Amino acid sequence: MRKSLPQRIALNTVGVVGALLFGFPTYWLITTSFKTPGEVLSPRYDLIPISVTFENFTSALSKPGFTAFLANSLIVTLGAVLTALVAGVLAAFPLARMRFRGRKGFLFLVLVAQLAPIEALLIPLYLLMRDAGLLNQLPSLLLVYMALTLPFTCWMLYGFVKGIPIELEEAAMIDGCGRWQAFRRVTLPLLGPGLVATSVFSFITAWNEFLFALVLMQDQGKRTIPVWLSTFREAFLVDWGGIMAASVIYAVPALIFFLIVQRKLVSGLTAGAVKG
Amino acid sequence: MTSTKDVAAMPAGNTPPASPRVPTLRARRRRKGFGDSVLPYLLLAPGVIAIAALLIWPTLQLVLISFRKLDLRELVTGQLVWVGIDNYTDVLGDPVFWEVTVRTLAFMAAVVAATILIALLLALLMKQLNPIVRVILQVTLVVAWATPAVAATTVFQWIFDQQYGILNKTLALIGFDGFIGHSWFSDGPSTLTVIGLLITWQAVPFVAFSLYAGLIGVPREQYEAAGIDGAGPWQTFRTVSWPAIQPILTIVTFLSVIWDFRVFTQVWAIKQGGPDGESTTLPIYMYLKGIAGSHFGPAAAIAMIMLLVLVILLARYIQLLLRSKEVDLK
Repeated sequence: MRKSLPQRIALNTVGVVGALLFGFPTYWLITTSFKTPGEVLSPRYDLIPISVTFENFTSALSKPGFTAFLANSLIVTLGAVLTALVAGVLAAFPLARMRFRGRKGFLFLVLVAQLAPIEALLIPLYLLMRDAGLLNQLPSLLLVYMALTLPFTCWMLYGFVKGIPIELEEAAMIDGCGRWQAFRRVTLPLLGPGLVATSVFSFITAWNEFLFALVLMQDQGKRTIPVWLSTFREAFLVDWGGIMAASVIYAVPALIFFLIVQRKLVSGLTAGAVKG
Repeated sequence: MTSTKDVAAMPAGNTPPASPRVPTLRARRRRKGFGDSVLPYLLLAPGVIAIAALLIWPTLQLVLISFRKLDLRELVTGQLVWVGIDNYTDVLGDPVFWEVTVRTLAFMAAVVAATILIALLLALLMKQLNPIVRVILQVTLVVAWATPAVAATTVFQWIFDQQYGILNKTLALIGFDGFIGHSWFSDGPSTLTVIGLLITWQAVPFVAFSLYAGLIGVPREQYEAAGIDGAGPWQTFRTVSWPAIQPILTIVTFLSVIWDFRVFTQVWAIKQGGPDGESTTLPIYMYLKGIAGSHFGPAAAIAMIMLLVLVILLARYIQLLLRSKEVDLK
């Protein structure tokens, strides 16, 4: 459809305004983190930082425990991603390649598990972890995050394995490979991009998780970054520059990973119906 | 884990090397050995065990706890006290519960409506934009989407800060002096509005991209044909664009309902349900009753009611899902 010039100018202006509105909060987050404390709290009105300083970042990193919380978040998130990935690959292979009783049932379970609000399971999981003596233990959070990401991981990897032609495996088997060898030598390497996309998605889910981290890790030293950040007022008082710097440090891994797999996410999400 | 791998490797060892008498694959498939029939279950085992232990078992526990009296005393002594439907009658008889439920549903509806509307307009807009403007808009959307919820919450608190926030400064600058020192978090409706803006900001990109993907899937010829037939923009939208995005719109609307109904992080991180519980939604209410107040029985009942409400809201979606899966699960 051809539009007249004034129409196109108007539409593009709306587009630019939309971009400004959507970009502003993140822009403000990042620029505030580079402002000097004086500039942050000055009554003046500057949209662009006058002087760039890194002192907010050093102040955030030197807050008691910040690096420990960062480490907690990393351990729990990476552990959950890895375990879910291993279980997911093991499950995806038979789901996509074999016919057996209960296959449909499992796929349906995975689908339902993705939609079920895990928040509702907060109380039983809390009691379960308490009875197992796992409160304030990082592995309990790791397990919950694995459970949180596993259905999605299974579903995504199932789709990816199905997308790889079975003829390739059959050809390898005719050449004398066993089924496992054919899978490992032919399908697994082709699954690479799928593994990356899936694990990035799980990473973001676990990295962002807040409620279970709040409930299961009540020990100050066992906290994860999001929980710690949400209680920043105690830690920072009104040091907004420091808060923004800590938020930036926390947001950067998610931002980078997100940009890598952004295109795959929409198709994966609408197909599997989950959210990050 | 290793044992499963060993089993998976077994057929490899048993397979005879290529020889003139290698059976065809089809024949081999028909002659399933013991290993072949057990193999899928062994491979699925880790996933099944994890889902059963961490999702199914807790769900059953949730049902049972909702019929128990389980406060700190019972928790410590390990006593099993069954109270029948008392937790449910207690919860349903509490006017606060109804207040919170109505608030949660209204909040959810407002956020979902705003998200879908803005996303639909953005998706339609993206199709018309100059490529450079489109890329800029898409990058800002991805960044908004990718910003972790708690980081987004901190920057929204900063933007809406009473004294130094950019919003009050801007409003004062353009002549609304009344906003100098205005507190956006002093009452429930205002706090919920800020939370709603925050959630909408983060929720729009996914919906907009999904709809945009649907729109660019429409063959150009269909638009040209509509143009030749003399259809105006509205008619073109109704006859060409709408049929293409309608199924996607249904799915993303249902997904938004699920996500916005159970949202906890942003609501808690902004004001912890305050001031005076005026921004408390059902998940917050459940948390306060259960974890903070140690009344696990009523909290489990609240969780069960939440599940029930979701099932009712999503009945149609589950139906659609089951139908589409019949095709896909073959």
